Amino acid sequence: MRKFVRESWLILALGLVFATLLACAQTAFQPRIQDNQARALNEAIGLVVPGTVRTERVRVEGYDRDVFRCLAEGQTVAGWAVEAVGTGFADRIRLVVGLSPDARSITGLKVIENVETPGLGNKIAEEAWAAQYRGLDAGRPIVVRKRPPAADRNEVQAVTGATISSTAVTEIVNRALERVRPGLERL
Amino acid sequence: MASENGSILKQFTDGIVANNPTLVLLLGMCPTLAVTNTVENALVMGAAVIFVLTMSNLVTSLLRHLLQPHVRILVFTLTIATFVTIADLTLRAYVFEVSKKLGPFVPLIIVNCIIIARAEVVASRHGVGRSVADALGCGVGFTLALTLLGAIRELLGTGGITLLRESGWHWHLDPKVFEPHAWVVMIMPPGAFLTLGAVIGVVNHVRARRAERGGK
Repeated sequence: MRKFVRESWLILALGLVFATLLACAQTAFQPRIQDNQARALNEAIGLVVPGTVRTERVRVEGYDRDVFRCLAEGQTVAGWAVEAVGTGFADRIRLVVGLSPDARSITGLKVIENVETPGLGNKIAEEAWAAQYRGLDAGRPIVVRKRPPAADRNEVQAVTGATISSTAVTEIVNRALERVRPGLERL
Repeated sequence: MASENGSILKQFTDGIVANNPTLVLLLGMCPTLAVTNTVENALVMGAAVIFVLTMSNLVTSLLRHLLQPHVRILVFTLTIATFVTIADLTLRAYVFEVSKKLGPFVPLIIVNCIIIARAEVVASRHGVGRSVADALGCGVGFTLALTLLGAIRELLGTGGITLLRESGWHWHLDPKVFEPHAWVVMIMPPGAFLTLGAVIGVVNHVRARRAERGGK
């Protein structure tokens, strides 16, 4: 026992001191970090469901991620915001997709977390590319094409040179919509 | 390697020039290649490394007489890991967007060779003053090297340099001459290797010439 203490007292002491230091840092910064994450989410919701002034988190049967009922001025439902996560080309992609009040069409899309290739894959986070999803039919799968989308088809054009990232986003959206719409329609 | 017996000021300036960790010692190449795609990423990574390096050297130097051989590496790693975690939390709290772009590379500072090398070579053998000077010098040298690489890559790769602060402040440099012909390869991995290789080549050439002239 004495040998153990003599050989490892420094490590034990440092462990204690550093753990305390980390606990303090965590306590000090966690509120700000959570605020940052909430702000990013709220900004995204504001973008994907225009006219939102307030949101309420709702539980949707069969879907385990966050879904928000978005309320406009005067308590009318402006739409729904659905959080979805999946694997992209590099690592995970987290996004919010906006739906119309009847959950029939997409009102917007915003990728809030991604580590795709800068300059190529991370164009999926750009307003101009995500705008393609606006107005698409939420009841049918969306297809990714390498040419401009045909009218009246549920299509988007992939980012040039970033087909995998583009397809990943579309798949995440398709899968999320498939799972969330049945439960959502009952609300 | 330049002498470690000079003045403390020399220890500091050596870290920037003669012992530049990135361009001379060739340490910490992985984050160098990964985060130099934009100047903003390079600067934030540099700041994080300066903090971790300084705190690590400080603590190691203070404990240097208590380090039994079998716990040396353990103590180094424990110290570095703690300060990297603090740095990561700080970045996530104050520059959330950039910390998302840096992704896994901030936690990976723990295994950045520069930090453990300076802890072993300088901090565990010298007093606090020299250790901190070395840390600041190497940290600043690392930051300058990364910013240079980042500037080259971002300028040639996207046509301009943008620094977007959280508070909405925005600094954008756009010479417009590069725009239509931006080399996208520069912001991708091959561009990282090309730029790093070119800059190290130039540095080596300059050092060889100086050595020649100095030797006469």
